Amino acid sequence: MRKEYIDRQKREFGRKVVISLPIHYPKEILTALDVLCVELWGPPGEISGNQAGRIQTYVCPVVRKALAFIAGGHASEADALLFPHTCDSIQGLASLLPDFGGWNGPVLRFIHPKGERRASSEVYLVREIEAFIAQVETLTGKKLEPARLSSAVKLHAEIDALKLRILKLRRNIDMRDSELYAILRRGEWLWPEDHMAELKELASKISDKPQKKGVALMLSGIVPEPMDIFDVLENAGAFIVADDYAAIGRRISSSSAELPDNPLQAVIERYFALPPCSTRSSDLAGRVEYLTGLYSQNGAAGLVLHNVKFCEPEMFDVAMIKKRFAAMNSPVLYVETELEKQLSGQLSTRLEAFVEMASKGGESE
Amino acid sequence: MITRKIQYQMAKRAVGPFLMALDRWQSAQKSRKRKPRETPFGPPLQSVQKLKEIMTLNYFEGRYADGAVPVAWVTSGFPAEVFFALGFHVVYPENHAALCSTRHKVPEIAEFAERDGLSRDVCSYARTDIGSVISGKTPVGRLPKPDMIACCTNICQTVLYWYRNLAEYLNVPLVLVDTPFMYGGTREHHLDYVSAQLGEVIEAAERISGRRMDAEKLARVVENARDGSRLWGECLAISQARPAPWTGIDTFFHIAPIVTIRGTETCNEYYRMLKDELTERVKAGVGGIKNEKHRLLWDNLPIWFKVREHSTMTAERGFNFVCATYSNAWAEAGDLIDPSHPLESAAKTYTYVYLNRDLDNRLKTTVDLAKSFGVDGAVLHSDRSCKPYSVGQVDVKERLQKDMNIRVLLLEADHADERSLSGEQAEMRLLAFMENFND
Amino acid sequence: MTECVSIGIDVGSTTWKAVAVDSKGNILASIVEEAEPLIDRQTERALAELKAQVKAGDGVRIGATGYGRKRVRADLVLTEITCHARGAFHLTGKGGVLIDIGGQDTKIIKIGNNGDVLDFSMNDKCAAGTGRFLEVILKRLRVPFDEVALRFNKAVNSIPVSNTCTVFAESEVVSLVAEGKEIDEIVKGLHQSLASRVASLAGDIPPDSEIFMSGGVALNESMVKSLVDRTGRRIRVLNSPQLIGALGAALAAR
Repeated sequence: MRKEYIDRQKREFGRKVVISLPIHYPKEILTALDVLCVELWGPPGEISGNQAGRIQTYVCPVVRKALAFIAGGHASEADALLFPHTCDSIQGLASLLPDFGGWNGPVLRFIHPKGERRASSEVYLVREIEAFIAQVETLTGKKLEPARLSSAVKLHAEIDALKLRILKLRRNIDMRDSELYAILRRGEWLWPEDHMAELKELASKISDKPQKKGVALMLSGIVPEPMDIFDVLENAGAFIVADDYAAIGRRISSSSAELPDNPLQAVIERYFALPPCSTRSSDLAGRVEYLTGLYSQNGAAGLVLHNVKFCEPEMFDVAMIKKRFAAMNSPVLYVETELEKQLSGQLSTRLEAFVEMASKGGESE
Repeated sequence: MITRKIQYQMAKRAVGPFLMALDRWQSAQKSRKRKPRETPFGPPLQSVQKLKEIMTLNYFEGRYADGAVPVAWVTSGFPAEVFFALGFHVVYPENHAALCSTRHKVPEIAEFAERDGLSRDVCSYARTDIGSVISGKTPVGRLPKPDMIACCTNICQTVLYWYRNLAEYLNVPLVLVDTPFMYGGTREHHLDYVSAQLGEVIEAAERISGRRMDAEKLARVVENARDGSRLWGECLAISQARPAPWTGIDTFFHIAPIVTIRGTETCNEYYRMLKDELTERVKAGVGGIKNEKHRLLWDNLPIWFKVREHSTMTAERGFNFVCATYSNAWAEAGDLIDPSHPLESAAKTYTYVYLNRDLDNRLKTTVDLAKSFGVDGAVLHSDRSCKPYSVGQVDVKERLQKDMNIRVLLLEADHADERSLSGEQAEMRLLAFMENFND
Repeated sequence: MTECVSIGIDVGSTTWKAVAVDSKGNILASIVEEAEPLIDRQTERALAELKAQVKAGDGVRIGATGYGRKRVRADLVLTEITCHARGAFHLTGKGGVLIDIGGQDTKIIKIGNNGDVLDFSMNDKCAAGTGRFLEVILKRLRVPFDEVALRFNKAVNSIPVSNTCTVFAESEVVSLVAEGKEIDEIVKGLHQSLASRVASLAGDIPPDSEIFMSGGVALNESMVKSLVDRTGRRIRVLNSPQLIGALGAALAAR
């Protein structure tokens, strides 16, 4: 279905297709230049093909699967690959594929500044985005028009505002979390306007009173994979009330209110207004603060840290988050998955036990 | 404050040197009594005693540094010249963690960080240093509390994750030099970004230390750093001789000054002495190992806790690691540093770092080393703790085998944590690898 | 005999356990068997036996726990973590830290003063640090379970088993034996290694909280002794430690 959709985007609209590795990149630029971005988080399941063996097994599965997928020849519909500078492993992959084989096509790179917003990083980000624009212009053979960038910025700001509203009022939507996330995650490959239409339909289902009962949880991590984590939690009597997945919540820029008229400046402002993320090396104390705020504002009763195995940036934040939540007497569970198709029994047990604990021994029948 | 300064000066100028002299005398006594042991190595380098003194004194001074002089903890790839020029005492947590590993202290110290929730899957250096901060445990007596910590991402992004934690545990400000990764060449705005950050770092260091940067002093430190880096490169290059006058494993230890006191006169003095000694050894035909039959290249960080065993094992069979991408990384900067433009040239120097460059470039450097040192084999340490250094090694291995026609071993281990390694397996793989060579 | 009100079943990876309790939570009867591959069939048969023993009526409620909990018919299904906490609290009447070493999992459960689970941790999915680890290696050494304590106590020194992976540890032990190392000392080292792994999973245990132990491995006194040595703390082994999970399930189902 996804493949058909992508083919149609190319055929009917003459759009270029870029396959992107996670996580942060200025999507507005791609939209403004008529490029469909398809993100690569997996695919879930066993790694197939011998290409994955080119990266050691102690490296995160997102990177190993991306290698197997691309070098295995499954990315042929892409006109280019995009590598945001997310972490050391993606950085390695960004060099491995073009340098040592597996991808011969064009490669786009976006090296975002790390750490807190500083005078130096503001200047740098403007110039790095300009350089990114130049790369995409070369790919498409088109010139970026400020008016098109303005409308792309507006569209993405609206998408973000809508997502924020949906996530905030998600209690009031009578829908299983697994379904809700499936719709949110379609933004990883749909053309933004199509994604917007689906989000609008989703938003129309927000009723004026809560539809969910049970233990309210906040989830934080890189990507909600395997997706049956939501069903395991829901069947155990929980529902998700706040989201800090890098693939979802951490990419919703909250600066949609007042953006500068200069569209490039607006892209910069939107970037710096993203919630704290380990992969951008946001200030750690600031990130913990943000998480506790999100947790209490949404009335969560427990935090599940759901990480991808071997994801180093994310693992480094765990100790401080745990410490702070322990000080608030808020229960935290840390689990790791490897983009498998299904949760293991042991992991399900841990999640279920956590729900039982967070509900203070409430029975689940 | 004043007594602290006196204490520090006493440690630096009197007590430390006295203890060193005592140690020198004691080891002379011991070695006179002891019959020299039969080893596969050549006669030990005389410089080792001096190296030991420099490093011990550096850590000894450090015990009394906080409160007496400003203190910074920095990453090994950080342009620490700015701190030396401002009279900081500089601590290198990476070097400290490596030291903990050679003393087999990592399991005990890292456990404190792991109990706090730091995963066993993250870099063992980071776990060791964070564990040391939590517990106060260290084999060097005491590490001075920093006034600031400084991180440069040119060796990995991990250092930044790690230092963000240190900043919280120590409750001190963190300054950052973020060096955009180089795919192919560098870009002007990348270098401008690095220069601008260096300016920000100097401002912060001035503010925190209450001192003003003296441009002349900075130029002098930068010049020393350039010379030091060149001298280090020259010392390494001497191993192109056959037999190589020292071992690659030796270089892992003699690298300490260029990493930790780069830019000081002491550092350069040391390498001049070492260079002279190595040159003499080449003239006299003295090898790092007694019977050099095969020459190997080492890639990635050392396996610190096993360095001695592996070194002996290989030396016994006539194998010498004559070069290492790791030791070489600190020799590459020599030609980029320009004392008349300290910030701009530092931006370039610290961006053009081996680990901050793409795999094509890394392969090229490795091949150049392999060729110029005439190696007939290579051991690539696939380091669980170091993703940036390890990703790509599988392909590098294949390319070296194919393009260079040399034997290559990919050896999975860890640079500091002995728990994550099946020691016997690693040894067996190394032995099997060596058995493949025809004498 | 008082009337049985509920039965708890703990379907573990190595053993199948069930406990019948009265309204006060007293254990009336129990069954421990080796786990069979067909869980539902085993449960049907063994449950009928237990019911017959206590003359249980139709109104008896069933609680299930353990890794096979979802594969048996029950009125209430709860995880092992909650059930172990319930069972332990019922026996001790106070909070503390429960170390449960089972065949497949090792769990550390912090229990509050009202019996709630405050926090828990579990080993990763591999067998390192579990009863299975011990079982595999002891089998390799050809040391039957009833000899373990004798050998452990006889050993003056101990030889540490440093590999965390069960498979690697097995080969490590084989080569230790080949080197002519004392079996007794290996047995001692093995227990100490496991104890140290369990202790690091447990992390810092506050000095004022009591430590309890449950699970089949709690019957191994050498293991208990190693844990005591490693933690420097007193450890109270609960009565019938392998039944705690089933007891908790029975109590919850009451």
